[in-house]
Amino acid sequence: MDKGLLAYLLIPLLSAVIIPFAARTRPKMADILANVTLLAGLANLLWLALRPSMIAGGFADIPGDGLSLLLVAAVYLVGLCVTFFSAYFIEEGLPNRPAYYSLLLVSVAAMTGVVTTTDFFTLYVFIEVLAVTSFALITTDDSSAGIEGALKYFFLTFPASVLIIVGIAILMMTLGSLSYENLRLFMASDAPAGPVTFASALIMLGFIVKSGVVPFHTWTPDAYQGAYAPVSAHLAGIVTKISGVYAIIKLATLLRFFDGRAQALSEMLMFLGMLSIAVGALAALKQTNFKRMLAFSSISQIGYIVLAAGLGTPLAIMGAVFHLINHATFKTVLFLNSASLEKSTGTTDMDKLGGMEHSMPWTSWTSIVALLSTAGVPPLSGFWSKLLIILALWESGLRVYAVLALLFSIVTLAYFMMMQKKVFFGKKTPASERVQEVSAPLLAPVVLMSAIIVALGLLFPYFYAYVKVVAERIIL
Amino acid sequence: MNLILIPIILPIVSALALLLISERTRYLKELLAICASVVSLLAAANIFLLPAQTVSYAWLGSAISFTLSTDTLSAFLLLAAGLFSAAISIYSFSMPNKGPAKWFFFNLLMTQAFASGAALADNMVAMLFFWEGLLVFLYTFIALSQTTYAAKRTAMKAFLINGATDICLLVGITITGYIAGTMSMSEISHNKLTLDYGWSVFAYVLLLIGAVSKAGAFPFHTWIPDAATDSSASFMAFVPAAIDKLLGIYFLARASIYLFVLNGTMQLVLMTLGAVTILVAVMMALVQKDYKRLLSYHAVSQTGYMILGIGTLNPIGIAGGLFHMINHATYKSCLFMTSGSVERQAGTTDLSKLGGLFRAMPVTGLCFIIAAAAISGIAPLNGFFSKELVYKGTLDTGYTIFFLAAELGSFLTLASFLKLGHSVFFGVRPENLKETKEAPFSMLLPMLGLAAICVVFGFGAQLPINWFISPSLEALNIRHGILTGFHPDKLYFLSVIVILAAVINHLLGLAAGGGKADKASDHIHYAPVLKEAYAMAERRVFDIYEVGMDRVVPAFSYALFKVDRFFDWVIDTAPSGAAGFLGNTSRRFHTGSYPLYMALTLAGAIIYILLLASNGGLK
Amino acid sequence: MIYHTLLFALAAVFALWAVMARKLLVSAIMLALVSVCVSLIFFDFGAPWAGVFELSVCAGLITVLFVGAVSLIRAEDEKRPENRARFYALPFAAAIFAIAAWFYLPAFVEELAAGAKIGSGGGSIGRALWGMRRPDLLGQVLMLAAGVFVIKSVFPRRTQSK
Repeated sequence: MDKGLLAYLLIPLLSAVIIPFAARTRPKMADILANVTLLAGLANLLWLALRPSMIAGGFADIPGDGLSLLLVAAVYLVGLCVTFFSAYFIEEGLPNRPAYYSLLLVSVAAMTGVVTTTDFFTLYVFIEVLAVTSFALITTDDSSAGIEGALKYFFLTFPASVLIIVGIAILMMTLGSLSYENLRLFMASDAPAGPVTFASALIMLGFIVKSGVVPFHTWTPDAYQGAYAPVSAHLAGIVTKISGVYAIIKLATLLRFFDGRAQALSEMLMFLGMLSIAVGALAALKQTNFKRMLAFSSISQIGYIVLAAGLGTPLAIMGAVFHLINHATFKTVLFLNSASLEKSTGTTDMDKLGGMEHSMPWTSWTSIVALLSTAGVPPLSGFWSKLLIILALWESGLRVYAVLALLFSIVTLAYFMMMQKKVFFGKKTPASERVQEVSAPLLAPVVLMSAIIVALGLLFPYFYAYVKVVAERIIL
Repeated sequence: MNLILIPIILPIVSALALLLISERTRYLKELLAICASVVSLLAAANIFLLPAQTVSYAWLGSAISFTLSTDTLSAFLLLAAGLFSAAISIYSFSMPNKGPAKWFFFNLLMTQAFASGAALADNMVAMLFFWEGLLVFLYTFIALSQTTYAAKRTAMKAFLINGATDICLLVGITITGYIAGTMSMSEISHNKLTLDYGWSVFAYVLLLIGAVSKAGAFPFHTWIPDAATDSSASFMAFVPAAIDKLLGIYFLARASIYLFVLNGTMQLVLMTLGAVTILVAVMMALVQKDYKRLLSYHAVSQTGYMILGIGTLNPIGIAGGLFHMINHATYKSCLFMTSGSVERQAGTTDLSKLGGLFRAMPVTGLCFIIAAAAISGIAPLNGFFSKELVYKGTLDTGYTIFFLAAELGSFLTLASFLKLGHSVFFGVRPENLKETKEAPFSMLLPMLGLAAICVVFGFGAQLPINWFISPSLEALNIRHGILTGFHPDKLYFLSVIVILAAVINHLLGLAAGGGKADKASDHIHYAPVLKEAYAMAERRVFDIYEVGMDRVVPAFSYALFKVDRFFDWVIDTAPSGAAGFLGNTSRRFHTGSYPLYMALTLAGAIIYILLLASNGGLK
Repeated sequence: MIYHTLLFALAAVFALWAVMARKLLVSAIMLALVSVCVSLIFFDFGAPWAGVFELSVCAGLITVLFVGAVSLIRAEDEKRPENRARFYALPFAAAIFAIAAWFYLPAFVEELAAGAKIGSGGGSIGRALWGMRRPDLLGQVLMLAAGVFVIKSVFPRRTQSK
């Protein structure tokens, strides 16, 4: 476990424990405590990673492998956006308000644990904690759709836990240890890889199920659609990425896909990634509910990350990590915007909405920024990550995958354009009459995220230097 | 300003100025156009009298030198174009059926300017520029002459036929320039191209197509009879009768003699083309029942003589071709003018409704007789001399068959003009034409002028030959012997025999047609074999444009439409259809059914594990 | 030996209780107690790894999941109480099984013990948990916290909605 980042796990946990007591008489204390905790953590992280001397040195002094730091920052960023948004979104007098924030903070702590651990079993424990908190968070508003989504999430990802624990058991038997380092050393040696690879493959399958890759994606649409609105942003933006995709990337580097060990697993992973891209994008085309469409879009975007992880070359890993961060930014914006829409109009059914750009210009414009980034339009950040992934595929001779990835990026643009047209452009529908823009605090997180999307795109060279350091450290 | 530029720039400036003048002003437009064309004519005459000079401008940077040169042939052409422009603009002063006056004179002056440019251009690219400009004004000329749909359709027909052949010309000029290494015609003439290899034959054939199509030869002539009925007599007198003949034959002579050295095969091709054009068109002319339409077929037929003359490749034949060119322009312009007068005064050009107009319109009738005699080759009018030259040139080549064809054409020409003159100016005048009066002076003046030229060029045939034709041949670098003089030899007597035969034929036809002059050709029209051929011609079976438009173009465009639909389908319908289908399928699949989802998850997991295990997972 | 027997007996009792409890919540908690007993037995037999995993996974994690799930469906559950009369025969069946085992199982167990290797990583519970699996301990704490907050979050709504 990376001790340098341990504080980022412990402090939210501490806050989570304090909140129920502090907020006993004044529920607003819960909002304040949660926000302050996450803001302080984020500020600290930014100082750690972005102080001038660090940038000038090309990020060579980043503690740890760099990836943990980056992902902890992403976790805190999305967490802060969600808590800030929630503070103004939650209806007054919700009895579980302190518990809601505590769960959010525990979820942040668990994610920090996931990205800082160096042992498979600890990883498993943290991921189960994450599953439990998400499960409770989804049902926050106690709607029937929420409970259905939570149950689907719970039961359909249950096989993942079984697969992971079986994989860990086999790994323990064959390798004698569960630490990442031992697996890496083993794969770097010439020893026959059979059972160890098989064990890793089982663990990876568990994480594939957890990340919602086709054909294990079936829980995602219902869970995202049914979840309490800010929670779906939290879930889609960061939770499923950390609980599933992060581990896949980690395993891909540990199994040394780039030098041809575990070839079969690598190919399988790439195939599943491509399948996800295709199925997710095509299914998103025909959705009528905003949140459900975003869920399918999420499946499609995860496909890109999995595809790149399956390729496993340094460039591909850079693309995958970058796309993971980008996905956190743009998906958070889109889901928070869907929450704003739901708050203003009471629905997320795209057929009932229309002409919202006049009444909700900020929401409309931030959506455009986010969707263009998703579709990979330069100079936004999504363009660079997709470019890295497609370049990596092309360089490795996987021309078909590269072309397909490019094509489905067009499909992505198509369904988002359709969404934008239906919801924000065109004529006003009865549901969108007399609708007003949501208040400024609700807009602040999406505007911040949109700014980050643009900034990451424009300041790509700096970010590239950082991701390069990360790729060098985790692969070599 | 250089004098050479006046015949080009002045008409263009005047034409543009015309557009600024209100349509309601009377005579102002007409007077401006007449002034412009007359001044251009004077400038052209001045240029003709001066020694040859050259003006050159760099064009498109210095890629193309825009060279205008007034060698004697070009200056002769320029003078002729100016003459006809002036004559027609005066004639049109009180011509009612010419469409909006503003647009008529605009087109007239533009055509004159571009024709002058094409005649003067030494660089082939510059010539092509003017040549294609004529195409535009050909379209607007016809399309704006009447407001009917037929006028638009005929304009499009003329435009497409000439456009297609102009593209041939464009390609031919490009290839010629590429082979020769220069676009300057005078430079090419120092080192003429031979037809020894495929590319140069191809280039020459393309140039030939462009030139004879402009001149209106078979089989590119079909728009001319249609234009005769669908546009005005002024247009017919100006463009198909005069300007197109001048330019087409001019460039045919340039290409065949100045740029290329032709061989025997190509000579045969040219002469055959000429003979076929003569016969086909005159056969059609013979049976027409409309004044202008009949004349228009003759305009085609006479082109055959010019092509035949140039095709002989000997000095006498070429001189005959060029002489016939200017003669034809003169008398055919005059004939179309008479048709315009008759149309204005009598209200129709249908032969069956006309008759006995000579007493009512003596001056018009006189002009008609002179011009008709000239076109029929009756001595001693100008047509006789030019035809004599062509006959002599043809006989010199040794191909008697072409000579016989030309004589036969002459016979039929005279026969059709006997019919035409008889049915319009003689015979019984119908009741409704009793009040018909002579045409106004502004129409008679140019007619009389042109008729006078026919007489002068006939009685004083050495005048035009010494002034125009002989210098033109020198410009083409051809040495020649004596061309003038009246020879009462075998050819003369043969022409007398032809005249007598035609008169006898006319009398026979009158007898067969029950004394009605307009039915005087029916015994040929309904002769056993010809009847079917004429019927097919009436159905436009031989008109490549109509056949193409009816059969080939619809099929071709349908095929193209299908191809376009296919690509449209490929890039538009198919992807969105496929995406829609797949999207709907996957949407229907996501029913929210928990057992289905669980089964899918488990099945996926099992397949994954099995695949990995079989791929060396558990070795 | 008495310690062992006591643990075995406790595990059996908790297991029976889990099956027979009228409320699902009680069942879940009893199941967790079974896991705790079993993990203590593992530690005592010198298998700290197995003990740690049993404690982490079964006692901690699965329990929290069960509690969460139960809390969601409790409302429906209590409307239509299940007929559990047939489970009253279970204690008798367990008693008969225990007596039979008293006679037959020792020989089998001894045979197993003869083939067993000496457990490699002996030592106390504390050493196993703190020395080797310290990060997991953090996870366990987090898990407990999560469980508490889940209950805090879900139950008030349930009581309110009644």
